[in-house]
Amino acid sequence: MADTEAKREVEIEIKDLGVSFTDNAGNPVQALTGVNLDIYKGEFIALLGPSGCGKTTLLRSVADLQQPTEGKISIEGNTPRQTRLARKFGFVFQQPVLFDWRTVRKNVELPLEVMSESKEERAKRAEEMLEMVGLSNFADSYPKQLSGGMQQRVNIARAFSLKPDILLMDEPFSALDEFTKEKLHMDLLRLWKATNKTILFVTHNIEEAVFLSTRVCVFTPHPGRLANVVDITLPQPRELNMKNTMEFTNLVAQVRGSFEGGSL
Amino acid sequence: MTAVRSRKSKSAKNAANAALTIILPVALGVLIVALWQGGVLQKLFGTDDYVLPEPTRIFSIFQDNSSAVWANIKITTSVAMLGLLFGSLLGYAAAVLGALKPGIGAGALAVVGAFASVPLVALAPVMNNLTRDVSRVAETRSFVAKILVVMLIAAADMGLNAYRGLTELPPYAVDLMKTYAASSKTVFLKLRLPNSVPYIFTALKVSVPASIMTAIVSEYFAEFNGGVGRQIRENILLAQYSTAWVYIMAACGIGVGTYVILMIVRSIIARKFHM
Repeated sequence: MADTEAKREVEIEIKDLGVSFTDNAGNPVQALTGVNLDIYKGEFIALLGPSGCGKTTLLRSVADLQQPTEGKISIEGNTPRQTRLARKFGFVFQQPVLFDWRTVRKNVELPLEVMSESKEERAKRAEEMLEMVGLSNFADSYPKQLSGGMQQRVNIARAFSLKPDILLMDEPFSALDEFTKEKLHMDLLRLWKATNKTILFVTHNIEEAVFLSTRVCVFTPHPGRLANVVDITLPQPRELNMKNTMEFTNLVAQVRGSFEGGSL
Repeated sequence: MTAVRSRKSKSAKNAANAALTIILPVALGVLIVALWQGGVLQKLFGTDDYVLPEPTRIFSIFQDNSSAVWANIKITTSVAMLGLLFGSLLGYAAAVLGALKPGIGAGALAVVGAFASVPLVALAPVMNNLTRDVSRVAETRSFVAKILVVMLIAAADMGLNAYRGLTELPPYAVDLMKTYAASSKTVFLKLRLPNSVPYIFTALKVSVPASIMTAIVSEYFAEFNGGVGRQIRENILLAQYSTAWVYIMAACGIGVGTYVILMIVRSIIARKFHM
């Protein structure tokens, strides 16, 4: 056990992180305070908490979409900005953010176009990614012709197409129905296993966090802080029927318990 | 069985509704022309067939003067379309400047907007004055003056709409491009520009009819007496109402014709861009 621990390589190091800003009324708001967290390569981290707990703020700070006011984040020794400019992040937003004027295929190719990949490489990778999310038949459709779940799958395919080292996902499935969500959970776990990326996954759903991740980071609001980290010991690969096990129920209860003990 | 039958009757109902939306306006049009030709309309408005001649008379005057009418239609249409073209390009360029350099652009757009709200009747004489030294030929001077007025109206309309298209982007779209480390040039070409296409047509839907109206009104004040608008005015002054009506019909024709062309172009582009 100690041996495997030693081999694990820290990928993202978050030290004393704090983010504050002034709201529209001019009042100072402490979104996040005193967050310390080491994330290892290949981990699936769930950032869990109610709204206003700063979990999205943390994700955006890692991606260099927002500037922390205290502390620092280091990603393999680099700043978030350097990492972003090196195009190591794939970010999946809450909404699909697909461009209506591009076909599904062209949407998946967008990051590759920005990175000036060759036409053949773009076509090849788009094909590959659409195959992976099961949308090959819809490559020439337009986003508006797809259902919400399919749009979100395009969003995920697009994030994977640039082959990022780190995948940042901000409540990607919160707007979907249970059935679509479960299907996408299995898709995502399969992609994670196949590509061995590090994933940071923001959610406000306890079961989702436990089922998907290797560790759940529990955040509590006012001010947003990291209250607890729960190791998820469910075996890999995850299967849907694990949700019926005692172990799953106990882990969910344990995670829920860290809220009730906190300042909710 | 019943489900199938009800669906069938529903689609028949839809077809009937679609037919009605065409038949009713056409029937109304035919009715009005009939009342007009029969002299009922004139009585209704308390006028006579001298001030409001019947359609057949207007048509026969058009036939007698068709070459003059076409020449005037050509003048008005070219003023409107050239003004629309240059004005729209200018407006779009201002919008691009505004989107890229928020400090300068927002101010510039406000100025353009302010200019465009100056009444036409005030703008036209100002432009006549401005273009005094453009050419020795009155016809050319007038042509330029009228185009400038149309340009200003079209530029304001396009500028304000295109600015919205270039800056009001889908939520998180800019963040998405940022995660790709995209340059601002790339963001412009791949996001802002295509996002502004529907807004261009929103602008044109207003500015195409407005540019015809503007061309016609500025002809009233122009130095050189050419164009459909000027002919309406001159013929009314000379109490040649039948001829005035020919030009009123021509003005309507230009307006409807250009609008139909715009709608066809729009539907082609909309299919291409999935707006």
